[in-house]
Amino acid sequence: MKGKSNTFNISNTSNNENSKFAITINNLVKQYDDFKLNHINFQVPKGSIMGFVGENGAGKTTTMKAILDLITIDEGEITILGSDSRNLPKEKKALIGVVLDGSNLHDNLNVNNINLIMQRIYLNWEERIFYEYIKRFNLPETKILKEYSRGMKMKLSIVIALSHHAKLLILDEATSGLDPMVREEILDIFLEFMQDEEHTILFSSHIISDIEKIADYVTFIHKGNIVFSKNKDDLIYQHGLIHCKKDEVNQIDKAYIVGVRENRYGAEVLIKNKALFQRQYNNFKVDRTTIEEIMLFITRGKESF
Amino acid sequence: MLGLLLKDFINLKRYTKIFGLFIFIYGFMAYTQKDASSFTSIFALLFTILTMSSYAYDEVAKWDVYALTMPISREEIVRSKYYLMLLLVALSFAFSTVFTIVLNFILGIANIYLGLEACYIAASVIVLFYSITLPIITKLGIEKARIIFFAVYMIPVVIGYFIKKAANAGMIKIPTRLLEISKIAIQYRFIVIPIVLLIALWISYEIAIRIYQKKEF
Repeated sequence: MKGKSNTFNISNTSNNENSKFAITINNLVKQYDDFKLNHINFQVPKGSIMGFVGENGAGKTTTMKAILDLITIDEGEITILGSDSRNLPKEKKALIGVVLDGSNLHDNLNVNNINLIMQRIYLNWEERIFYEYIKRFNLPETKILKEYSRGMKMKLSIVIALSHHAKLLILDEATSGLDPMVREEILDIFLEFMQDEEHTILFSSHIISDIEKIADYVTFIHKGNIVFSKNKDDLIYQHGLIHCKKDEVNQIDKAYIVGVRENRYGAEVLIKNKALFQRQYNNFKVDRTTIEEIMLFITRGKESF
Repeated sequence: MLGLLLKDFINLKRYTKIFGLFIFIYGFMAYTQKDASSFTSIFALLFTILTMSSYAYDEVAKWDVYALTMPISREEIVRSKYYLMLLLVALSFAFSTVFTIVLNFILGIANIYLGLEACYIAASVIVLFYSITLPIITKLGIEKARIIFFAVYMIPVVIGYFIKKAANAGMIKIPTRLLEISKIAIQYRFIVIPIVLLIALWISYEIAIRIYQKKEF
């Protein structure tokens, strides 16, 4: 293995059909002139929602494209539903619902046209489910997509992804640019999809609040490197935020400190191993933190340890 | 594959009214001029535009990225465009043929099949045109390819013009052997043209597939 490897095993990896993982990424490398996906490793457990987060340009979409075999990878391997992602068999592809950042459908088409087209593309297409979702989302059937709002287009993409008995949803910025009401509605649909324990979602977004609401696991990518890939609750329980005076920061063992943010009133310190820390330091009040804060401290904290 | 073709035909459906208008205008002109050949060439040109339009629609929608996430292979996406082009050429050929025969009948021309060779040549030219251009579109996308088309088709025209001018002025002598081969090819055009087109299509398709397999989105 060349270079630095970012390995984040949620559990053991297996590439066969009965793997516990819907997606396994091993040592993925993709080099561009000005950007590199640097030895990416993570797994998406079956039956879970994995939030894939990172700032714009961190490598989320490139990783998604690599998973979907839309780009050629330089190194590594990606397994989806037990098969190599390169030249994935059609029957496996039919089990994946994909929602991309844009609608990617032609402006001249209407819902009825899309139903006719998808029927001929997906052997497992379910017209009844399609129209049920269309009605539920109040999507006009006769209007062409040119007259749809962005929210409506995204809903339609989600409806398509849900209308062919998909077991895995891959969503790239599916809620970006949508108003909170529509986002909430879409997140509810994803949670409904997860009622089946065989179903899995990989959901990339830079809107951390959406990830915090629905994800079981969070993978954080920063400048082409995976910073962490962990259970969301573990992340929140293991980290804590301390508000203290600037000179009190030196009292804390650096092994606990993830990042420090100073302001004119004092300092904010993000610590890890919260339980151990609280046993060792009872003079500091440790507040609950969020995924967003953890990410911000890691990427922008004045110090990193 | 059927889904991809259906998607293209639904997108191109909006041209039906414009086509109807063109058929009426040029049909009327052909009737007044008592000659169907202008109609055949215009109709062939209109159908040529349709295949390019289907690429433009896909490009604007960024359809290919989405289609590749579906149970569709890269080969199928390329193949569907070749099928679309051939279907449109077949439609254009059938329409021009029927129109020519009907016009000849109305005009009371003794040889009712007069002018059908123009339909055959027009269809062959479109297939040859696309055999060259489809790999270029696959590589560059329709927007960039449009600029290249101009260069690709102007260069042979300009070279041909100067060769003809030079030959007429006696500056160069076209080899007799070449002229003989050309004469034989024209004589056996109904055998030679399909063979040439099949070879051109096969080479074109193989190149386009290879380009598309390596394409990144």
